[in-house]
Amino acid sequence: MGKRPQEALIMSANALLGGEVVYYAAGGRWSPHLADAFVARTEAEAESLEAARAAAEAQGAVVEPELAPVGTDAGGRLVPSHYREKIRALGPTVRTDLGPQAAGENAHVSL
Amino acid sequence: MYRYDEFDAAVVRDRVAQFREQVQRRLDGSLTEEEFTPLRLMNGLYLQLHAYMLRIAVPYGTLVSRQLRQLAMIADKYDRGYGHFTTRQNLQLNWPKLAEVPDLLDDLADVEMHCIQTSGNCIRNVTADHFAGVAADEVEDPRPTAELIRQWSTLHPEFSFLPRKFKIAVTGAARDRAAVAVHDIGLRLVRNDDGEIGYKVLVGGGLGRTPMIGKIIRDFLPKDELLAYLEAIMRVYNLEGRRDNKYKARIKILVHEIGTDAFIARVEAEYAKLDGASVNADPAELARIAAYFAPPEYESLPAVSEGFEAAKARDPDFARFAATNLFPHKVPGYTAITVSVKPIGAPPGDATSDQMRALADLAELYSADELRITHVQNVVLPHVKLDDVHALWSALVEAGLETPNAGLITDIIACPGMDYCKLATARSIPIAQAIATRFADAERQALIGELGIKISGCINACGHHHVGAIGILGLDKAGVENYQITLGGDPGEQASLGQRLGPGIDAEAVPEAIERIVDTYLDVRAGAAETFIETVRRVGLDPFKPALQPREAQLEAA
Repeated sequence: MGKRPQEALIMSANALLGGEVVYYAAGGRWSPHLADAFVARTEAEAESLEAARAAAEAQGAVVEPELAPVGTDAGGRLVPSHYREKIRALGPTVRTDLGPQAAGENAHVSL
Repeated sequence: MYRYDEFDAAVVRDRVAQFREQVQRRLDGSLTEEEFTPLRLMNGLYLQLHAYMLRIAVPYGTLVSRQLRQLAMIADKYDRGYGHFTTRQNLQLNWPKLAEVPDLLDDLADVEMHCIQTSGNCIRNVTADHFAGVAADEVEDPRPTAELIRQWSTLHPEFSFLPRKFKIAVTGAARDRAAVAVHDIGLRLVRNDDGEIGYKVLVGGGLGRTPMIGKIIRDFLPKDELLAYLEAIMRVYNLEGRRDNKYKARIKILVHEIGTDAFIARVEAEYAKLDGASVNADPAELARIAAYFAPPEYESLPAVSEGFEAAKARDPDFARFAATNLFPHKVPGYTAITVSVKPIGAPPGDATSDQMRALADLAELYSADELRITHVQNVVLPHVKLDDVHALWSALVEAGLETPNAGLITDIIACPGMDYCKLATARSIPIAQAIATRFADAERQALIGELGIKISGCINACGHHHVGAIGILGLDKAGVENYQITLGGDPGEQASLGQRLGPGIDAEAVPEAIERIVDTYLDVRAGAAETFIETVRRVGLDPFKPALQPREAQLEAA
């Protein structure tokens, strides 16, 4: 196992057609579920995730792919580290009837 | 209300058809995202945190009922049943799908609307006083000027790739309700000693990370010289504005760096070289445009309405609404009504499609079919008979739009902030909601009087915090939302920028800090007639500084 990066990383983007938040998952597919996100835990994985980001940007199937730090809660579920990415995982905090949170998605993530 | 001619209609339809092709080429892979981004931005389509966002132009904030009804239909058909009125008098939809946007734009074009000039480095949608044409303190309706600038600037080939975006605002009144001093160009319609109408021209104002008050570069520009003079300003900016650093690219930086006198000299030299006659609109065209803004046919009414007075005496809730949300109309027996889109605890400026339809119906019934969107994120019904105000208010109550807070502490400007916006560093709306809830008591609000709180979720200052009597700026401090408070900002004719009160505070501490700032004001104001901003100007910031300290620290110090 290689050297660990300071924090584990995931990659998110917006879907081209609908604009909704999507996560880069194992096998290079894009999923609307945070739980599916591929997590880079080592330096080598972080480098390959960055390479995948550059490739995704060039390929253009999604829009504005970005890496974001992530942690896990006591139940082992992924929790974005920064509030910006938490808000993206949930939807607008002032409209809980909209975004992934409206479907009960990522209920374990709190700001 | 300006009506498109065939040329306008064709330009808009052509643009929709172009965009439809551009979207198709993006979807089939023949355009990269990098190539497509400027094209979608030229049509007002942004990408935000959760979805695309479409910014729809409402030129100078004026709408007729059928347009607002169409916006409601569009919000239902393509979005999530609501829209957000912005500080530039526009409407934003937060959830459109890329593939559907061309159809959406066609539906907009059906009511002579579009998203042109709502993004990109061009001359943006021109804004104006929301009481244009009805304000008693008006020299002249600013909207014909705004419309003339719109026609001149739309898709202007020379000014479509400016160093940075460019915002123009126009007011025709003594009281500046259009914040013209914080625009790239601000125009004030004024009358000279000979009784002629012209423009006082301000350049180089702006908010954002480097806020500046505009400098007067002409005290009186004859009205018929406007376009040539604007062209001279734009040429100087286009040539000399910085393109090496986007944060220094606005015209305010150019004016600041070379100095006002040098800037004036360059503009006047450019102006002298221009063939004014080939640029300026001819008087017949000006008259043609002005005719579209002719006032509705008012009835001859007494200045006092007995029915209105009786309703106020009978119903204290109505009386409170009448005291805060009515604005003096230049025609006796009429009033302009501010419909607050700030119900206590709701996101400022968000209106549901049902509310839009209700407002459209009310405008048709009671306001000569006309509405205005204000830069304060409210809606104005500009031509209401005093006799009709009570009936209109009863309908507003039904629609949940009767909040009696126009101009008061809960009439808060807030940008979308990190609940929606990709550029945000912190949330704005929850702060506005918490403050409004804290000050919900209408009597207390009336006691506090006129007080503008303005909140931005990043230094780009879409929430106008620099010119808030109380300004709040949300930042990211080591991964935690943090809020800086400024006092003393004013967007009006005595424009001033707020000064920072002290170090930033946590979100939870903001309502309490505002409470203590307000308590201090109530303590030190020289009578109820002295507004918050007047008190801050008189006493300075020092008396307010303890408001940011934790309550315990204050008690210990005492």
